[in-house]
Amino acid sequence: MGEKKSDVLQGTLDLMVLKTLHAMGPLHGFGIARRIEQLSEDVLQLNEGTVYTSLLRLQQQGWIKSEWGTSDNNRKARYYSITRLGKKQLDLETENWERIAGVIGRVLRVERQG
Amino acid sequence: MGFFRVWAAKVKGLFTRQREDHEFDEEIRAHIHDLTERYLRQGMSRANAVKAARLQFGNVTLLQETQRAQRSFLSPAEWWGDIRFGLRMMRKKPGSNAAVIIALALGIGMNVAVFSFVNALLLRPPAVVHSMGSMVELWKHSRIAIDMQSYAPFSYPDYAYYRDHTQSLEGLLAFDGDGAQSIWNRNGQGQVVQGQLASGNFFSLLGVNALLGRTLSTSDDQLGSPHPVIVLSHSFWQRELASDPEIVGKTLVLNGAEFNVIGVAPQGFTGLLVGTSPDFWAPLTLQQQFTQDKDRLTSRQEFWLIVAGRLRPSVDRAKAQAEMRVFARQLGKDYPDSNKDFDTLIYPATLVPGPYRGYVEAFTGLILGVFVLVLMIACANAASFLLARATGRVREMAIRSALGAGRARLIRQMLIESLMLSSIAGLAGIAVAWWMAHLLLELKPAAIPLSISVPLDWRVLSFALVVSFATGILFGLVPALRSATVEAAPALKDETQTAGLRKSRLRTLLLIGEIATCVVLLAGATLCVRSLMHANSIDPGFDTQHIAVATLDPSTLGYSPAKIDAFYGRLLDRVRTLPGITAASYVSHLPLGTSREATSAGHHVAPDPDQVRVDLFSASPEYFATMGIPFRRGRDFTSKESESPDPGVVIVNEVLAQKMWPGQDPIGQRIALGGAKTTSEVIGEVKAGKYRTLGESPVAVVFRANPPEGKRTLVVRASGDARPLLDALARTVQDVDPLMAVTDSQTIEEYMALPLFPARATGLLLGASGILAVVLTAIGLFGVIAYVVSQRTHEIGVRMALGARETDVLKLVMRQGLFLTSVGLLIGLAGAIAAARLLSPLLYGIGANDPATLAAVTVTVTAVAMLACYIPARRAMRVDPTVALRYE
Repeated sequence: MGEKKSDVLQGTLDLMVLKTLHAMGPLHGFGIARRIEQLSEDVLQLNEGTVYTSLLRLQQQGWIKSEWGTSDNNRKARYYSITRLGKKQLDLETENWERIAGVIGRVLRVERQG
Repeated sequence: MGFFRVWAAKVKGLFTRQREDHEFDEEIRAHIHDLTERYLRQGMSRANAVKAARLQFGNVTLLQETQRAQRSFLSPAEWWGDIRFGLRMMRKKPGSNAAVIIALALGIGMNVAVFSFVNALLLRPPAVVHSMGSMVELWKHSRIAIDMQSYAPFSYPDYAYYRDHTQSLEGLLAFDGDGAQSIWNRNGQGQVVQGQLASGNFFSLLGVNALLGRTLSTSDDQLGSPHPVIVLSHSFWQRELASDPEIVGKTLVLNGAEFNVIGVAPQGFTGLLVGTSPDFWAPLTLQQQFTQDKDRLTSRQEFWLIVAGRLRPSVDRAKAQAEMRVFARQLGKDYPDSNKDFDTLIYPATLVPGPYRGYVEAFTGLILGVFVLVLMIACANAASFLLARATGRVREMAIRSALGAGRARLIRQMLIESLMLSSIAGLAGIAVAWWMAHLLLELKPAAIPLSISVPLDWRVLSFALVVSFATGILFGLVPALRSATVEAAPALKDETQTAGLRKSRLRTLLLIGEIATCVVLLAGATLCVRSLMHANSIDPGFDTQHIAVATLDPSTLGYSPAKIDAFYGRLLDRVRTLPGITAASYVSHLPLGTSREATSAGHHVAPDPDQVRVDLFSASPEYFATMGIPFRRGRDFTSKESESPDPGVVIVNEVLAQKMWPGQDPIGQRIALGGAKTTSEVIGEVKAGKYRTLGESPVAVVFRANPPEGKRTLVVRASGDARPLLDALARTVQDVDPLMAVTDSQTIEEYMALPLFPARATGLLLGASGILAVVLTAIGLFGVIAYVVSQRTHEIGVRMALGARETDVLKLVMRQGLFLTSVGLLIGLAGAIAAARLLSPLLYGIGANDPATLAAVTVTVTAVAMLACYIPARRAMRVDPTVALRYE
């Protein structure tokens, strides 16, 4: 079921969106999707709609905020930006991620013994 | 933390839903548009580009759905779906749903009705008054008296002292607690109006501004030079003066003197005292224009002023209390005769005076508690109904859960259904409450000059809302949790359902609790109804039929004693000639009323250690004949004795005769009444009756020969029904003196509503609670047994096929019901004995643990339970084994 896959993705997508906003400054949804597409080098095949679910979740947590602005091609667009609370959360989750990735990496590197 | 933020965002989402939906749709459209543009630039055809963009974005509708769910709690479509489903479920079993709703509506309604009185008496602040929170009330408290006797209002000199010396209060106002009933000369016709004397700062301190003209000022209320001015109440102005916009500056003639109308009070303002609704306010210092009492403004012994003040912003109650204590001590030192034993207590100012609040709270609390129990029974009924239904819906729940409905979703569905039941019941309950409150007000005897408004205001409505909601959750939650924990697999397998008592332990417990509560309520109700019957059958010592009474007070018109005498004489002569009247007389006041006069009686004028407290009445000749009070010995007063200023003769009742001259003939004995300089001769002895309350122990009474110059009660005996006489009496009074008006003109039956009021009110309320409890419990018991029977149809069929007789089946089912009943009965009886103590102060003539009552309750509950079990049991008995076995 597709749900299972997105469950795994959910936490990481939130983290990616948060990091993107941190690195790039205010962006609209399309911009975020492009940035993630670019960085993931097409490894992550993502329904771009899920970016919006992630954005809403982050917004309800108070980690990002949004306001309406004008896009490059002169259209009204909603711009998302990271909040102070979000930066703190990002640090926390980055640290978390690195620790877990480190552990998993170590576990996977363990050679078959004896 | 995060959890709360998300919830807050969701709550916010409830209100911004539409805008957010719209904005989100915009965002998606723009995103897909951008994606399409990109593919177009890469050289795709438009159709392919659109398709590719759609694919890359994913399922838009699904996204919108999840987005909506995430943004707030539920999509409106889902709520609506649940409600529609609930309605469908309700329509499926209209009968039992209606029964549950009616039971809950009665339960909720009675609670709301009682609460509307709690609100009217205790919660509602006085209307129109500005920031009531900082107002406090002062009461004198005697250190040597007990109970309510120890609280007293203020005397005028004390009030003036406190007013002039207080630092902690911004100001101190006073008004008379008795009211100033007066006669308004309305174009030559007398009409009784109710006034209230108020200090000059009364309105300004309360922050009440006049609707027209101005309110009283301190210059109107100067001792020695009061202005003859009045402020009219809005309702009086509207009712009697047709809202005359030019009223300010006109004069009204009250008690024979002219008063300038200076203003009209705002709508709804009725002062600070519950139950009073004055027609006008006049300066305190005009007191002598309204009562005959000449020393009210100077005496420290006359307690008649209710005093309230506003705390300064920097002062709290404790600080103000300390100051009042200092004043009380100072006055106690300066005027030991009158003030020695008095302290001054401070209370928050409310419609019910501070010292009385506790009593009102205790009584209304008791009644509210009783009806909460009734509601609990209704809740238990509803819960066991839902539990039974949930068992029937196990399969439905299993299917829902198999199809992916989460636990929360199932619970929500069930709770919505129970909340729908309770909110329909709540609406019906408000109607019940409105009707009940009116019924209770009707019960209030006309003799109590109280006007209580019991509005269904926002407090009452929110109470109804909260009660309905709480009820819905209370009876719905357990069945909901139960049905949500359904195990899909076994439920979907076609397992035969059997329902014994063990299978439904929760429902059994509910039922036992219900029966126990019912027993407690029924016992309380029976006690109160029996006490009411006792009260009705208590002999008050006078006839309670064929008598009409009316109160008169010509002294308020400022007449001279001679003129008053002439008036009373002429009136009595005229009344005696009216057709249908067999006797007529005057008395100072009626027994069992609100007035009382007491003194001491001894054998000699000199201090007598054996002197007794006596209640004092003054009666004209023929009083005893009119009231139907028989003479034991001696004779009535003669008219000559009645007219003499110092007749020197009295009539005593049996109780006093027995006390003062045990075993002797009281006729011809001398008696010295308190304060008299000579002794009087006893010329008659009459049968004892009830004088203060119906429940009192014997009271010694002395009747004097000459009723007072001022206020008297005219008593008239009719040969038949006394009701038609009332109009004739009122007309005769106006014939004799057009300026006079009678007050409280009523038949003796109506008059007796006053002493019987406490018994009648509690009897009615608790009687209603008892009947409700029995009916609801019977429905509950019936429902559970009927359900058990329907679930056991198969089993019963098997038993009968194996040779069980009809009576065996009957016994089987009845035994189950009666076992539950007897357990509930035992618990309930224990509870009733414990609870009855609360009731004992309200009971007449029976003890709280009256064995006959308990026996009657046991019999009633058992009989009702047997009936409730018998009907389903008979159905079980009629089970056709072949049908029952085919049934599955």
